[in-house]
Amino acid sequence: MGELFLEVRSEEIPARMLRPAIREAGTRLFEELLARGLTPGEVATGFTPRRLVLTLNGIPARESDREEESIGPPASVGFDDDGKPTAAARGFAKKCGVEPDDLRVVTTPKGDYLATTVKTEGRSAEKVLSDLIPRILGDLSWAKSMRWGTAEGPWVRPVHGLVVLYEGKVVPCDLFGVPAGDRTTGHPVHSPDSFAIKNNADYRRQMAERGIEVRFDERRARLLEGMKQASAELEGELVDDPELLDKLASICGIPGVVMGSFDPKYLDLPREVLTASLRDHQSALTVESAGKLLPCFLTVMDRQDDPKGRVQAGNEWVVEARLDDGRFFYGEDRKKPLSDRREALSHLVFHVQLGTYADKAERIIKLTESLCEVLGWDEKLAAAQEAAGLLKVDLTTEMVKEFTSLQGVMGGVYAREDGHPEEVWQAIYDQYQPVSADDSIPRTRAGMATAIADRVDTLVGMFGLGLVPSGSRDPFGLRRAAQGLVRIVLEADLPLDLDLVAALAARLYGERIEKGGEEILITLRPFLHDRIRHLAGLQGYAYDTIEAGLAAGSSNLPDLFARIDAIHQVREEPAFLSVALAAKRIANIVKDSPEYEVALQLLREPAERDLHEAAESHRTIVREAEAAGEYERCLRQIADLAEVLDKFFVEVLVMDENPDLKKNRIALLQSIQRMISRTARLTEVVVDKSEHRERSATQQ
Amino acid sequence: MGAQSFQELILRLSDFWSEEGCVIQQPYDLELGAGTMHPDTFLRVLGPEPWRVAYVQPSRRPADARYGENPFRLGKHYQMQVILKPSPKEVQDLYLRSLEALGIDLAVHDLRFEEDNWEAPTLGAWGVGWQVMLDGMEITQFTYFQQCGGLDLEPISAEITYGLERITMFLGLSRSVYEIDWVADGVEYGQVRHQDEVEFSKYYFEIADVEFLRQRFDGHEREAKRCLEAGLVLPAYECALKCSHLFNVLDSRGAVSVTERVALIKRVRNLAVACAQEYVASRERLGYPLLGGEAVVDG
Repeated sequence: MGELFLEVRSEEIPARMLRPAIREAGTRLFEELLARGLTPGEVATGFTPRRLVLTLNGIPARESDREEESIGPPASVGFDDDGKPTAAARGFAKKCGVEPDDLRVVTTPKGDYLATTVKTEGRSAEKVLSDLIPRILGDLSWAKSMRWGTAEGPWVRPVHGLVVLYEGKVVPCDLFGVPAGDRTTGHPVHSPDSFAIKNNADYRRQMAERGIEVRFDERRARLLEGMKQASAELEGELVDDPELLDKLASICGIPGVVMGSFDPKYLDLPREVLTASLRDHQSALTVESAGKLLPCFLTVMDRQDDPKGRVQAGNEWVVEARLDDGRFFYGEDRKKPLSDRREALSHLVFHVQLGTYADKAERIIKLTESLCEVLGWDEKLAAAQEAAGLLKVDLTTEMVKEFTSLQGVMGGVYAREDGHPEEVWQAIYDQYQPVSADDSIPRTRAGMATAIADRVDTLVGMFGLGLVPSGSRDPFGLRRAAQGLVRIVLEADLPLDLDLVAALAARLYGERIEKGGEEILITLRPFLHDRIRHLAGLQGYAYDTIEAGLAAGSSNLPDLFARIDAIHQVREEPAFLSVALAAKRIANIVKDSPEYEVALQLLREPAERDLHEAAESHRTIVREAEAAGEYERCLRQIADLAEVLDKFFVEVLVMDENPDLKKNRIALLQSIQRMISRTARLTEVVVDKSEHRERSATQQ
Repeated sequence: MGAQSFQELILRLSDFWSEEGCVIQQPYDLELGAGTMHPDTFLRVLGPEPWRVAYVQPSRRPADARYGENPFRLGKHYQMQVILKPSPKEVQDLYLRSLEALGIDLAVHDLRFEEDNWEAPTLGAWGVGWQVMLDGMEITQFTYFQQCGGLDLEPISAEITYGLERITMFLGLSRSVYEIDWVADGVEYGQVRHQDEVEFSKYYFEIADVEFLRQRFDGHEREAKRCLEAGLVLPAYECALKCSHLFNVLDSRGAVSVTERVALIKRVRNLAVACAQEYVASRERLGYPLLGGEAVVDG
């Protein structure tokens, strides 16, 4: 058992690629060792911009030995007339390292052949590692790779050093001509001299002496701690930004904190502008006190201290320049109110075929009106339409051109300053919400209506032109738009028929798109279903439960989710599973058959009469429950048929010789199928038969 | 002692890279958008011949012109451009030493390399690299060229582009580019360049004759093609450069629509790509004079 310690040093690797790379390297190395019987114990990873670090402990010293059967020439040419091995047989034996006497004859589908068992001794861990490591490291899948020098590579950046130690000894190998050794270096400026290392613990200790922390989580925690401490010194609190903190912890090896301040006059700028300018341009976090920003910022420096104050002075200089720019843009934008900029939208192209943003605004206003009508939000109509008209105007402002991350937000801020009602400016402000999984949906009804209208308009327009995202290609962000749409409708529990809304949106495009609403839905519906699958999966519903709900064909999302949840509630119950099994059987039997009517006089067997009666007595309740949206009750009623269904299949032969009886039994099953298909398509539910039998047995 | 003035910065960087075996070239005598467009970069990075060069290139960005009123933005700024082909293994170390040569004591600063890839669609060129941040300020673009004129490069060149005004401003923590010393305790940047910024801003945004610019664009494009047909790659490339600058002026004048923009960029790109291909062929015909061993044959 031994520890493998691995470090690759290179020029600065882009922050966004570090974590995926080290994860891939760790996983692949672990799996390849596992496949060779060299199962490691724990895997520990680390990285800084200039190094990837991997430690796997508990690796056995040797691969397991292998025995394999090796097949040689046909038996017919293996022995001469005297039964002695021929030259062919002797050659095969020699190749396998055995005596001709050790050969035997095996029978294969192609005939009889000579064969022998070849023993391969497992290689040493060192040998395996020296083969594996350059291959795995060289093959890492980078988002963007490059060549350097005389076209070496490709890799993410030029490679400068490699340390590979197994049980403290160098494993001979190389990466792009850089040989493995036992020496590394510290920070390129503060501790550039090389030093020898023995193992992971020694490495970590010597790195720590140089202020370098290679474990990402630890580095991030120290950075956060340092920033909280600095905020406390400023008598404020850090405004947390986990995403930015991830980035900052990725662009340093030494988690030093720079604290800087700026002229308080910039606090006159809207908070959103200050935060965006500091975040987007300077990767800096803000500090607040009693809900108000302080004229300070915090960011990272790849060093422990700032002895001459140069780092702080430099960062402050840049921040002031940026804020000055921000103030200039803000001043330009505020020369006229947002509503006076509306005209500029007619010069801003949304899509060549779908028209300008002015055209889009017109459509959103109309679609918002329909939505408010359907939802009974008459009192919100005026605010929603006012917001819809101003929704995209901020795209023409200097501030949004400079900080695209502020789109929507900036329009909301300007609308607020222009004195538009709260419902209106919040609708504009929230229009792109939710972006990430943690985001909430728009705060107000006007906000929801306009956000839905905007997204449906985009989706229908793009799908109407056949611009359907495929693979990783989604230039118009349609997945995000669809995801946001589904979440708003679901989380606000809006009884909207999306098919209907899409058809309305398609009509508003008039002749700009040739396809009609129904035609667009052929591709748009499955696209939305994928988003629904994703969201339902995140909520913990099993995939077959989701499919069964989706197949019921409801385009009203809260209704659809109520169906999915009802299946989820009953799906472990034996009676329900039994009906689900029966549903599959019925589907198979009736699948190619035309629709028939049940004739009572032809119900001969007691079991089929019982089934018919049970179905008749349950039908009304099933219908009522479904109409009332009480899907769980509906499914329980359906599950109630389990016993009579079971009995029917045991005692009655559907494919009777008498064609009339056969037809009638098919008709009976068709009526059952119609009934049990209410709420959800049960055939989608996966039932493990043995498990089901076991479960029903224990319950009986 | 740190560099105290704009010109001292230029002198020290020229000295440093001269010591590293670079040809100290002069700015190209045409309007360029960036040092990359200088034939000693754009064409020399093609093909197998080694090359080391450093030069200052005034870079014109008509759209960034601000009538001399913005303390940070200029319609023309100066870049110090260095090309090392093939990129040496120690290129980052060399770069750090060049900063030290400017008197920047790295021991008291924070220097980081943040991902920033470079792409120039009009040149069919892209590369991979960083923006170099000194105490949070971008002072250099550092790029490993991967493709130029649509051709894969081998060997690979490292390009180091210093923003000279920015570095000078930063060293003195000046509040305005116009206040930096061009000569230490002597002539200021504004005294040398302010009138230039004011007049060219007015020209780019208000005065430039759109029809005349379009005619020149068409004419230079025709001339570039004629030169290429005659096998004259360097004159052809000059014409392509003129087209590129004329496009920038037309754009800043607000005379280019969205669709026309795409078409004009494509026309410039086609010229640049044709020049790159022709240049590679011309160097092959000459027997790659810079590969060494053979004397340059004077045709």
